Amino acid sequence: MTLLVLATLALAAGVLAIVTADSRPAVSLVVGLIGALGVMALALVMPPEESLRIGGVGLVTTPLVRAMAVAWAAGLAVLALLEVAVGGRLTVVGPSLVGLAVAAVALATRDPASSMAALAAGGVAGVVVPGLSGWLDRADSPSRLPTTSRGSLAILGSGLLGMVVIAWGASAAGPFGAGAISVEPGGQFGLGLGLLGMVAAVAIRCGLIPLHVWAARFMEGVSPLAIPAAFAWGSAVFVLVALDWSQVALGPTAAGDIERLLIVALALTSIVLGGLAAMVHDDIEHVLGYSILQDAGVAVLAFASLEPQVVAAARNWLVASATVKTALAAWAAVVRTTYGGHRLADLGGWARRSPVLGLAFAGILVAAIALPGFSMWDARVTLIEGAIPGVGFALAIVAAAMPAIYLGRIGFAGIAPVTSAVAAGPSGRPRWSGGRATGWSDGSMGSAIRAVPAELRANRAALAAAGVVALAAMALATAVGGAGG
Amino acid sequence: MSPALVAVVIVVCAGAVVAVSTRDWGAAAIGLAVALVASALLSDPLPSVAILGVRVVAGILVAAILRAALQGGPRQPSPLGWPAEALLATAGAVAGLGLAVGLAALAAAAGGPIGAPNLPGPRNPGDVVVGGDVTVTAMALVVAAGTALLALGAAPLVHGEAGGRRAIGLVLVTQAVLLLRVGIGGPAVELEEIARAALLVVSGATGAVIARAAAVARAGEDAEVRASDGRPLRV
Repeated sequence: MTLLVLATLALAAGVLAIVTADSRPAVSLVVGLIGALGVMALALVMPPEESLRIGGVGLVTTPLVRAMAVAWAAGLAVLALLEVAVGGRLTVVGPSLVGLAVAAVALATRDPASSMAALAAGGVAGVVVPGLSGWLDRADSPSRLPTTSRGSLAILGSGLLGMVVIAWGASAAGPFGAGAISVEPGGQFGLGLGLLGMVAAVAIRCGLIPLHVWAARFMEGVSPLAIPAAFAWGSAVFVLVALDWSQVALGPTAAGDIERLLIVALALTSIVLGGLAAMVHDDIEHVLGYSILQDAGVAVLAFASLEPQVVAAARNWLVASATVKTALAAWAAVVRTTYGGHRLADLGGWARRSPVLGLAFAGILVAAIALPGFSMWDARVTLIEGAIPGVGFALAIVAAAMPAIYLGRIGFAGIAPVTSAVAAGPSGRPRWSGGRATGWSDGSMGSAIRAVPAELRANRAALAAAGVVALAAMALATAVGGAGG
Repeated sequence: MSPALVAVVIVVCAGAVVAVSTRDWGAAAIGLAVALVASALLSDPLPSVAILGVRVVAGILVAAILRAALQGGPRQPSPLGWPAEALLATAGAVAGLGLAVGLAALAAAAGGPIGAPNLPGPRNPGDVVVGGDVTVTAMALVVAAGTALLALGAAPLVHGEAGGRRAIGLVLVTQAVLLLRVGIGGPAVELEEIARAALLVVSGATGAVIARAAAVARAGEDAEVRASDGRPLRV
């Protein structure tokens, strides 16, 4: 029941926020913020195990659903405030709330076809709303519209492909044909084909290399704050639903030698090339995008074995990495807004100018690397070792080193000498702007209260940095403790 | 009942052919509405009134959204013409029937209940006997309608210019997959029916929004071209 209330609140608030974003931005912001806080509160009081039956299907709340809802809603509340600080059109909270509502129901539903249809329907908002806003804001970039179109088709297409695979699974030719799971050679071929079909749907949805062009182009044209809903959280939930179906319908025997090879090749391509691309690119949005892609590649390795402990590790990995990348996206948006630049050459000394942002980035860096002993580290090792036994641990170290390098570059830029662009930006240190008149302490409470908005505007950079610190703390917490997968 | 289902399949295909081949967006919306509403009736027995209502409302809503968005937009007629589109739909339907017959044979070999070609045994009263021993079930007709819509919608979706034709292709492909899901995998539960209706509406809305934006962008480009002639710019 709590889940139903949560989903209804998130969906209603999300739709209202989207509809009023242009005409009444203040209303949109308030509705989005209240919706996010309400969802977080409901997620916190949600019982760890709750079930109900709706429309002939059981909905079961699990610790994973709860953890996802809490982390996403908490991050969304902070992102809502950061969106005010960053400025521009409101494109983050509304679509994210819709996505969260759909994701919560999809993860709890015991019917994979319903989940896949819901995810396809709910995920489109995270692409269309920011994409069209980016197109409207940058009329000199006509390619934004085709990019948004391709992104929408990718979201819908991946969901439709997933539904076709699920339908095959329930058909006479599928593993549940005539009520028996067949592992004869002909049946094994079908199982493998079904597994590859579902992995293809995941690859399209997550934008894995070589299907990443639409995702890369999309991320270039939208606010970094809008990226987590579409790519971090949206992709994570899609992979979770696909994994659940694959584990139940196909089982570990589905991945034969050829299937395992193809899946591992696809995953490693995204892990290695995504990491290299993040290391090579100088602008922080590209680093963010390719790091998300790399995380998705690690998660896809779970399809190569489908063992219960590997799937559990994938759940932890997906929720933790989504939380970490949400924090990184917030950091990127705040840095870009504060200092006007997004290339490392222009951001020298950013951490000197804003120590609070530097502290937040340090937390994000540690969470992204995921030191030994972290739940996220264990998940990464389990995923890689489960797919590539023998060399998995060594590869896991390499995979951990990559964020150390591409995020470390940014960190080193932060402590480098301050560039002119950073020096011209507002200081990240909180200060009292002098809104008080001489002798203010003898003045009325009203005058002190009236000074608050001016002080908030004067300390916008510092407050935004504080928001990023909160997200970094959440990222560290999930990286260390896991998501109850 | 099943001859009626055959008629419904024909109506679905006819509506889709009109939707992709006409020059008039109003007629396209009507054709799409006919195809989607008729698709809602493609089951034997019919679902509950509530589910039927959800399907019909979703179909009509999609058609209305597209009608509103495409009004006044640039025309995008089919490069093939309606006869070729009709043949394409027929070919798709035949392929779907073949797929369904193949699945029925698999089910029969495994001891399933679905009527299969060239196998003796009782037929369901509503099944249509096409010829010889081939029995076409209601599910087979659903698959046939699905593949027909897929054949019609795939080309505009993949190769069409951003605009109304691509939006219609998106809706047809979405409806095709929804029909195939039921025809291949069996009936959907009520929650899935709601999710399916939402997916159809979202597909239509997405196509409509992008088509509208494309029309606005094209109008802006045309205005710039006229301005480059040295005449006063009027938008």
